[in-house]
Amino acid sequence: MPADRALTRKASAVYAEVLLEAAHAAGVAFEVSSQLEQAQAAIRGSIELRSALLDKNLPVEARMGIVNELFAGFAPVLLATLSVMVKRGDLGLLGRVSEAYLVRAEDALDASFIDVTTAIGLDDTLREKIKEKYAAQLGRDVLLREHLDPSIIGGIVLSAHGVSIDASVVSQLENARVVLSRSQ
Amino acid sequence: MKVCKTAGRLMLAVLLAATLMCALAPAAYAAPAEAPAAVAASATVHADTASGAEGAAQEEAGNPLIPNLLEFIPMLIGFLLLLLILGKFGWPVILGMLDKRVTTIKESLESAENAKIEGERLLEEYRAQLADAKKQAAQIIADAKQSGEAIKADLATQAQSEAESIIAKARAATEAEKKAAIAGLQSSVADLSVLVAGRIIGQGLSEADHRKIIEHYLSEAGALDAS
Repeated sequence: MPADRALTRKASAVYAEVLLEAAHAAGVAFEVSSQLEQAQAAIRGSIELRSALLDKNLPVEARMGIVNELFAGFAPVLLATLSVMVKRGDLGLLGRVSEAYLVRAEDALDASFIDVTTAIGLDDTLREKIKEKYAAQLGRDVLLREHLDPSIIGGIVLSAHGVSIDASVVSQLENARVVLSRSQ
Repeated sequence: MKVCKTAGRLMLAVLLAATLMCALAPAAYAAPAEAPAAVAASATVHADTASGAEGAAQEEAGNPLIPNLLEFIPMLIGFLLLLLILGKFGWPVILGMLDKRVTTIKESLESAENAKIEGERLLEEYRAQLADAKKQAAQIIADAKQSGEAIKADLATQAQSEAESIIAKARAATEAEKKAAIAGLQSSVADLSVLVAGRIIGQGLSEADHRKIIEHYLSEAGALDAS
């Protein structure tokens, strides 16, 4: 078991390094990190998709076709990497590859990637404010990976390096609900 | 002794009777015709004084009280022999029989007396046993009553404690259900309130409001580094 984990880690690292090299050369290293997250979320969110992509009984071409069709707007280097992973049956390593890529990409670009979730799209003012605040905290440039989620109603959710700040309206309402539920 | 005396007296009486019979029998057989004459003579002695001499001679020849010696003596001898024989052989037998009868009667009386005494003793014994049995029965009944009362009291106490336990459990269950219902109601109210608030807020926010909120929370948000 430890040997398998080591092999998995090593394989993930290889995929990440190769992908980063190609993406950095193409100048899309930052975009690829977001797209990797999106691909990971899409595959995790659908049992049928995951089953289809991991089904070895399904022809490789078919599985590659699904990937190309589903992630058509992604960077070509990422599509190629995903195709290779599908071909080799390593699509299950996508999560580890994404984490490894993130770390290497931050180092390569000398910037911290922050995931920002809001109910409406950010404007430049807000982006600058966010970058300014956290660049000072993290000691290097900040690149924002923006996500739209109307379910948070309002406010902002920030996360980076495993730390998450939930300043959304929905979380505030949830706190109020808990307090109301527990009060006698 | 009494029996012997009585037997002796009886024998004496028999002897006298036999003697008298012996004396009377020849006189009766010797002058059978003289008897009526003697009777007639005696009957008419007062009436006929002229035949006094014949009458005196007749009286002397037929007096039944004076025995005829020629006949009396053999008969007496015979009687004595008979008496002797009876006394030698019969008297012991008779005495033996009498003694035996006396003994038998005595034994029977003693046996009856003993049986009576034994019967009385057994009667007393049975009476004592009966009294003892009655006493024991009364004691058993009293003990049973006492046990019954104790069991009754225990059952009543047990039933009461069980009833109280059941009531307490029911109250606790009711209280728990009440609290759970209140909690559920509170949760429902909270959920509904939050849902309504969320909808009101979400619908009521303009873009400018959103940006203001974002800026506000951004200014209050903490650090993103692990420290």
